[in-house]
Amino acid sequence: MGAVRESLRHKRIAVCVGSGGVGKTTVAAALGLQRALDGGRALVCTIDPARRLAAALGLDSLGNMESRVPDHKLAAAGLAPRGQLHAMMLDVKRTWDDLVARHAPDRQRQDRIFRNRIYQQLSSALAGSQEYMAMEKLYELSTERDYDLVVLDTPPTAHALDFLEAPDRILDFLGSETARLLLTPALGAGKVGLRLFQLGGSYIARTLSRFTGSDVLRDVAEFMAGFQGMYEGFKTRAAAVRALLAEPQVGFVIVSSPSPLSVDEALFFHEHLHAESMPVAGVVANRVTPDLWPGDGDPPGPEALARALGGRGEADRALAGRLALTLAEHQVLARADAREVERLFGGVPAPREVVPRLQRDVHDLSGLAELAARL
Amino acid sequence: MPGPSLLDKRLLIVTGKGGVGKSSVSAALALLAARRGKRVLVCEVNAQERVAPLLGAPLAGPVVRQAAPGISTVNVTPPEAMREYGLMVLKFRTIYEAVFENRVVRFFLRVVPSLAELVMLGKILHEVRAEEGGRRRWDLVVLDAPATGHAVQLLRVPAALADTVPAGPLRREAERMRDLLVDPAVTSLSIVTLPEEMPVSESIDLDAQVRGVLGIPRGALFVNAMPEGRFSAEERARLERLAAEPAPLGPAARAAVLQAERAAEATRYAARARAALDLPAVVLPLLPVPVWGREAVERLAAAMEPGIA
Repeated sequence: MGAVRESLRHKRIAVCVGSGGVGKTTVAAALGLQRALDGGRALVCTIDPARRLAAALGLDSLGNMESRVPDHKLAAAGLAPRGQLHAMMLDVKRTWDDLVARHAPDRQRQDRIFRNRIYQQLSSALAGSQEYMAMEKLYELSTERDYDLVVLDTPPTAHALDFLEAPDRILDFLGSETARLLLTPALGAGKVGLRLFQLGGSYIARTLSRFTGSDVLRDVAEFMAGFQGMYEGFKTRAAAVRALLAEPQVGFVIVSSPSPLSVDEALFFHEHLHAESMPVAGVVANRVTPDLWPGDGDPPGPEALARALGGRGEADRALAGRLALTLAEHQVLARADAREVERLFGGVPAPREVVPRLQRDVHDLSGLAELAARL
Repeated sequence: MPGPSLLDKRLLIVTGKGGVGKSSVSAALALLAARRGKRVLVCEVNAQERVAPLLGAPLAGPVVRQAAPGISTVNVTPPEAMREYGLMVLKFRTIYEAVFENRVVRFFLRVVPSLAELVMLGKILHEVRAEEGGRRRWDLVVLDAPATGHAVQLLRVPAALADTVPAGPLRREAERMRDLLVDPAVTSLSIVTLPEEMPVSESIDLDAQVRGVLGIPRGALFVNAMPEGRFSAEERARLERLAAEPAPLGPAARAAVLQAERAAEATRYAARARAALDLPAVVLPLLPVPVWGREAVERLAAAMEPGIA
């Protein structure tokens, strides 16, 4: 009972991971709500263009602002938390801007970066940008605020690893040796000279600009030059974020549905977290079809059900037929789900919870509370 | 009522929330088109490949490969797309290798924002336009697009680049791609949803973005995994009373109550989606299959056929 909740009791940060469509956001929100009900100050941070959590929490806008879910909304759902529930939605662009402002040596440099066309596209266009900013925000929230629990709902990455590797990938290109090699001599002169053009000879430069246009190359060079000198700050911070994620106050919660693909992703993610010594606090098999006819035997056919109905004085052959079909179909799905859940739990040795497919979708606070009770 | 058949377009984009069955719908659309004698290519985008296995074929990887009669599939990945695009622009392999294998150049290409999306989409749209021996290589390209947020990010790249990048080859290419995506004679975008709260909300948001930000012509709304209404209200009340009975009646009644409840919820959400989205709706049944494969896709295609004309 409550194995995952129990395992998170002494954590200050919970990171929900898993593939898209497994109910990660609702699990994250339920974990936050649970802590609030137990008397803690909890914050749920989501990164979601479709604003699912906003809908679930009954909030209209969550743009990078932490806001408290009002008591009257909770009361309306029959909930009387002893603590507080806060929620926010990550604004990737604003988080980038804050990060740049934090590290820029002066206002002039900051504005130069903000004006750069490449930078302007960075937040939405750069693969891994969302993931990187999620980590960045998490670090800020955990070091500069005093929530008892911050629950991070991770972006619906196509590949589980994107999330963990994004900061490295982005730092890699912001500060790679190649970039320094290219740009260092050009700094200071106030103009951006591309050593690429000397280095590879005009042949390569010409060919490359045939590919992207030379103005694009200039924008890129300006962008890189803008970040010069800030790299160390970024790198230190990313290393701190990474170190934070391996601390015992953090717990990753792996969320999976019983679909084979999402279990594959969950297992893959677990392997990677394990390899990085990142603490896995729980694994949730969500939306599992309950087994209504346990054991190996076939579910009853129409005759058996017709007899049983008759015995109750409710003889109805047509209904018996539909009942048999419904139970048989249900069991096909239940058994397929059970096999996948077994595979999931076999691969992830952590506190576990099976959440049956609830009769209703979780889209309001009382639904969240019902889900939370099962975690 | 659906207008002219979706299958008469040349590019069908299929998207929706994660886990709603986009790949199954894409595979079923491809089957139907192939049965009408069309040569079909299904493109996945840097994904865990699903369509080829759904058709009972081995994974295609980043190279176009036939999965079934009349149907080929490909999983478009950035490095391979970059290579093809580079070769297309530069014409000569040796030049491509000299330039693109250069460490410095590789670095620069990674930094140019949206280039990965651009070349992947570029490769797909190239397949839409490609000709061979005086006729089109494919009659139909089905794009099994990423989930909502990532799909919008991918599909808005041409328009975004056309607006922000200075004049040059990159912008010309972006403009060409944008024009193809918004051409109603060529392209149609369909949304797949489940008859559940979150997928329907996301579909409504997505549709607003398709109309607003993307401007891509819209096709159909596929409501996937719709449970059938099997029990009347009166029967349901009886079954609820029987749910506590011992086996076999109790478990059967509980399964029936769950089914009835799910069907009632689904009916409400499907109605909500249909009311909010001014799109022809194609309702696909919930299939009780343990493993999705060719047979399930065939059943889906059969269920879909009347709806898409």
